[in-house]
Amino acid sequence: MNFSFWWIVTYYFRSAVKWFLRKTTGLCELQRICYGEIRGPQRTHAIERSLSLSKHKHIQQLILQLNDISGKEEFLGSQKKQVLHDAVRAVLLAKQINPRIHRQFVINMGQCIEHIWGYKQLISEVERLRTTQYDCDNIEHETQLYNLWRMLKPDEELEGRITKQWQNIGFQGEDPKTDFRGMGLLGLENLVFFATFYCSAAQHVLTHSYHPQHGYCFAIVGINLTSLAWTLLKEGCAKSYVYNNIENEISLKMFHHFYCYLFYEFDRFWMECRPKDIMEFSNIKSKFEYNIRNYLKDPNNDFRIGVTVHNI
Amino acid sequence: MQGLLSLLRKLRTAPEKELRLLLLGLDNAGKTTILKMLASEDITNVTPTAGFNIKSVNSEGFKLNVWDIGGQRKIRPYWKNYFENTDVLIYVVDSADKKRLEETGIELYELLSDDKLQDVPLLVYANKQDIPESLSASELAQTLGLPTIKDRSWQIQACTAIQGVGVREGMEWVCKNIKKK
Repeated sequence: MNFSFWWIVTYYFRSAVKWFLRKTTGLCELQRICYGEIRGPQRTHAIERSLSLSKHKHIQQLILQLNDISGKEEFLGSQKKQVLHDAVRAVLLAKQINPRIHRQFVINMGQCIEHIWGYKQLISEVERLRTTQYDCDNIEHETQLYNLWRMLKPDEELEGRITKQWQNIGFQGEDPKTDFRGMGLLGLENLVFFATFYCSAAQHVLTHSYHPQHGYCFAIVGINLTSLAWTLLKEGCAKSYVYNNIENEISLKMFHHFYCYLFYEFDRFWMECRPKDIMEFSNIKSKFEYNIRNYLKDPNNDFRIGVTVHNI
Repeated sequence: MQGLLSLLRKLRTAPEKELRLLLLGLDNAGKTTILKMLASEDITNVTPTAGFNIKSVNSEGFKLNVWDIGGQRKIRPYWKNYFENTDVLIYVVDSADKKRLEETGIELYELLSDDKLQDVPLLVYANKQDIPESLSASELAQTLGLPTIKDRSWQIQACTAIQGVGVREGMEWVCKNIKKK
């Protein structure tokens, strides 16, 4: 009831309210958001919503163009600067805003556009990796697989490419290549990043995976968490995580960090649940997913991996 | 809680018959892909099954509760926990994985000799027929020694789960077999 009421208000009376506010404040909605909301997820979310609801032809065209550029992963480097400059100019023209008076708007709007389409580009980038199948004839893929072993098991030599040792880091059989499945190269790159960048945290989690009762398969669970991270990114739930990282440029690395956060938190949750055996995985994973989705709803939450872990 | 739920389920007048189907087979055979295919879900994002997946599908007046249990060696000892009240056993084989045909045969015969699965009809999916070097359904039936099975009804169905080819035909056999009972 409440929902439908607000839906009607936003749908039918939005224009009227906007017109009224524009007349009384002398500012358009985008300006009101840029000046009124604090920097970070709140502001970016509000700008994104306002742009997507815009009925202005030029704004709609701008959105399509930016979608196209980010979909082709061309929102990079010097080109990105130019695109951002042009995009903000288009908004200024469409909304008849004087950039000399509203300097702060130019800066804030640019940041928001950078975040919104940086996120969309990240989805394309991640999707490209996910749909790249692991190929054992590709030297780069194989090198990454060996790197994963070296980072997780620095004191143990691999006896060969096809060996039961892979099961020690949680693959299913003697050859990991069939375990990446629908997550493709993304699953491998996530694992390698976790083992390399958060070396001590990954070792800490790997040790848990050997627990006689609560143990699990490190790599297989890792690949299932790649699937979770990818789903959250694709559905837009990871926006609060990404938009919170205002100091860093949005890149694949950010997705890897998000994945590492999920893996570390999942391991903690799993150990807290004290499962009887691995057969409880889907149940515990569903609960974990529910908690994470809720946690991601609050943009003020902190998504860093526990500081203590770095020192273990 | 569990007991109360099952009691409530029994009291409810069931408009359709519920069936418990068990999907087993070695890792990478295609069990989860078949499960997702049955539930008309996206099959491009399948991951290795840690533990199990379960889905309910309506088919030909039956409510099929399909249990897909992970196939890796570490999980196989837990298979037996899911045997009870199984109506049909569905065994999935990667027809192109010739190196592990013996292993998959041994696992299958261990299942067939279990008391809890006595008389339970068996459907074998000869999956991955799209791979050129894969064994055909009849070759696979011979290799697994299916014709020697006399204590239950069985069927082998060629399929390519990722394309959805053959999966429905297998399920039609399942439903027909139950109706006969």
